[in-house]
Amino acid sequence: MNRYAARIFSALALGAFALLPLAARAAGTDFVFAGRHIHFERFVDQQGGRAVAVDDSGLRAFLGQAAATIAWQPGQRYILVTTAQPLIVNFALGDRQYDAGPVTETAPFAPFLLDGRAYVPFDELVHAIGFSVKSDGAQQVLQPQLTALDVQGSDTGVKIVAHGGMPLDAKVTSAGAGKTVVTFADTASALPPSRTVDGGTVRRIDARTEGTVQHPRAVITIYSNASAGRPQPGTDDQRDFTLAFGGQQTDAQQQQQQINAPAQQAGGQTQQIHVTSVQTGSESGSTTVRIAIDGPASYEWHRLRAPDNRVWVDIHNARLGMAPQDAPVRVHQQSPDTVRVALTLPDFQTVDVEPDQSGITLTAGPQLADEGMPRSGSGTAGTPSAAAIAQTTPAPDDTWKFSPKPTPSAPAYIAANPRLIVIDPGHGGSDPGSIRGQYVEKNLTLDMAKRLRDILVKRGWQVMMTHDDDRDVAAHAESDGDELQARDDVANTNGARLFVSIHVNSFINSGPHGATVYFYKPEDYSLAQALNHRIAAHVAVKSDGIVKDKLYVLHHADCPAALVETAFISNPDDRALLASAQWRQSMAQAIADGLGDYAGPAPAQSGPGQ
Amino acid sequence: MKASRVLLLVAILIIAGILGWHFSRHSPSSGETITVYYTKDDGTSEVPWTVSVRPRSPKDTDAQRANDVALYSATQAVAGPSSDVHAIRFPAGTHVLSANVTGSTATVDLSGEVKNTASGVGGESAEFKALTWSLTALPGIDSVAVRVEGQRVKTLPGGHLELDEPLRRSDF
Repeated sequence: MNRYAARIFSALALGAFALLPLAARAAGTDFVFAGRHIHFERFVDQQGGRAVAVDDSGLRAFLGQAAATIAWQPGQRYILVTTAQPLIVNFALGDRQYDAGPVTETAPFAPFLLDGRAYVPFDELVHAIGFSVKSDGAQQVLQPQLTALDVQGSDTGVKIVAHGGMPLDAKVTSAGAGKTVVTFADTASALPPSRTVDGGTVRRIDARTEGTVQHPRAVITIYSNASAGRPQPGTDDQRDFTLAFGGQQTDAQQQQQQINAPAQQAGGQTQQIHVTSVQTGSESGSTTVRIAIDGPASYEWHRLRAPDNRVWVDIHNARLGMAPQDAPVRVHQQSPDTVRVALTLPDFQTVDVEPDQSGITLTAGPQLADEGMPRSGSGTAGTPSAAAIAQTTPAPDDTWKFSPKPTPSAPAYIAANPRLIVIDPGHGGSDPGSIRGQYVEKNLTLDMAKRLRDILVKRGWQVMMTHDDDRDVAAHAESDGDELQARDDVANTNGARLFVSIHVNSFINSGPHGATVYFYKPEDYSLAQALNHRIAAHVAVKSDGIVKDKLYVLHHADCPAALVETAFISNPDDRALLASAQWRQSMAQAIADGLGDYAGPAPAQSGPGQ
Repeated sequence: MKASRVLLLVAILIIAGILGWHFSRHSPSSGETITVYYTKDDGTSEVPWTVSVRPRSPKDTDAQRANDVALYSATQAVAGPSSDVHAIRFPAGTHVLSANVTGSTATVDLSGEVKNTASGVGGESAEFKALTWSLTALPGIDSVAVRVEGQRVKTLPGGHLELDEPLRRSDF
């Protein structure tokens, strides 16, 4: 009996030890990646797999090449890997399950701590970011995979979009009648060998891998209708590969078919959602508004303080599927993709907005709300999974987007020198601002600022420019921001009436265009509005309106200030405008007129020295 | 005889402990989700989307959980939605180094790539607006302090947005 029990105990003790993380025993290992050896130092065998430390230099080098990053710090349980796609892989210490984008997977062991370092399952990490570990006889190879091939329908035809662990190097190797062959260099296929696509232009896609383990080739054969014509290769983000076919798609394909390897790709939302009915009920002092929607939609709600007492819910990416109404609740198509349901409450009552699977219920309680209660919130409703995120956040005092006029709360600014306007040409000196070809922001802003100065001086204003040649304003800038403070100081130390900063906008792609006027402080608002009014009416550029933003030069100017982004240097049409001296003059004229609308005529010169 | 009973009891306790540990760690997903935002390429509109987070471990303290969820929210906001969505994005390679919640402020440390913001006010403010909206969608957080490679900065190089004070939704 004694011996029997001792044996059970020994076996159990051994079993218990087997479940604990094994101590490091292997002194690292090598993998071949893109023809080079990468040494992984902190690499240990684990039951059912292999683990690597998140700070291992080999892992960091590999992730760097794959344009992926990893984040973990001591004390934190989550270990997050982000790919360039982007896809986020979420490991958690002590949790065998991990999320790769929207998909939950299970690893053979949980991430663990060893000597104060976090270790993650190696093969699962590699797979999640679009690679596979393959053996080439004596060597282990980290092989990029072709992980996803989406067939997307559009108005003009069909587009095939391929994604992989590395930027794809693809060639259309043959395109005959109804058959296109695409070869992806140094990439293996992780796709099913053959897939039929229902109806439409593209009928079937075959995938296979050729070549060696170190130099594989994914070969994709696309069978299409002969009428589709010759496909056009391209890329959307420099990492993927796209192939566009002409011709019409069937409804089945319009809904976007995907051929994916596991653990990839979050879907986009394309389904049109409707607000189908809005019903109002009232019971013992509380009012209930029921908004029915026929699919998943995001929404946000806002309310205004007493005595206004308006409350509204905006349902995004939705159309009105009922007649608009004005009473007892106002229901309108607020913008092409937003339906607004609004009502005015008798008092500042409590408001509760609850989403569910078929819509949203707004309840205004009989009690009065505290001043500290949330005044806005957002979430999603109508989702099959009822992912109800009724996240509420106390609204800012100035919910400018919907009630743009913020209440000025600061004491009114009184300018020591009411005749002085300070003009700040954006950037300059060591900071060129945005550059596109021969066009440099600092030159364009200086030009427009000088034109504006000349107009204002003619109208009797005293004008100071933060700089009127191409130089830095701060004498000894110790940090980014000192330069901007130096510009504000010109206005602050001279007691200026107004401060206007002139800029040229820019964005990474060429789409956005137009002029925007920024404000931050409540007292900036009327000035921004006056400038925007003139620009919208008199300058040949799209008006993007006024926008609140915590811009350094606006915040730290004592006087009312505005920043004008005149046009986008990154947009070809806007760039042509900026290139025209006549257009720059019209912009300066509009800013001067806007300043005049805001400030009135220049005060008479009051004394000597002015 | 007595010794064997003690051993048996110890063995049973070990089994129970292992099973308890195992099942506590491998309970099915709680389905917890958070809302994160991206900025549409009009530069101002925030679009919410929902992502699931790994469930909380019973061992997590409230502080640790808050940091984990903040890190996840910030990482999602900086990465942005899938590449077919037209969103304004942080410069390529920008990632979150850490996130810590103190009181109602989440401090987010961004990697140096964020300095490559080669855009005007529109892109720059749209990036930080999405980050601010995402983190302040978490319960109890109403502002976001930004660090770049661990350093507090007034603005980005050549930038416009003020970053030396925590950002709030009302700043945009």
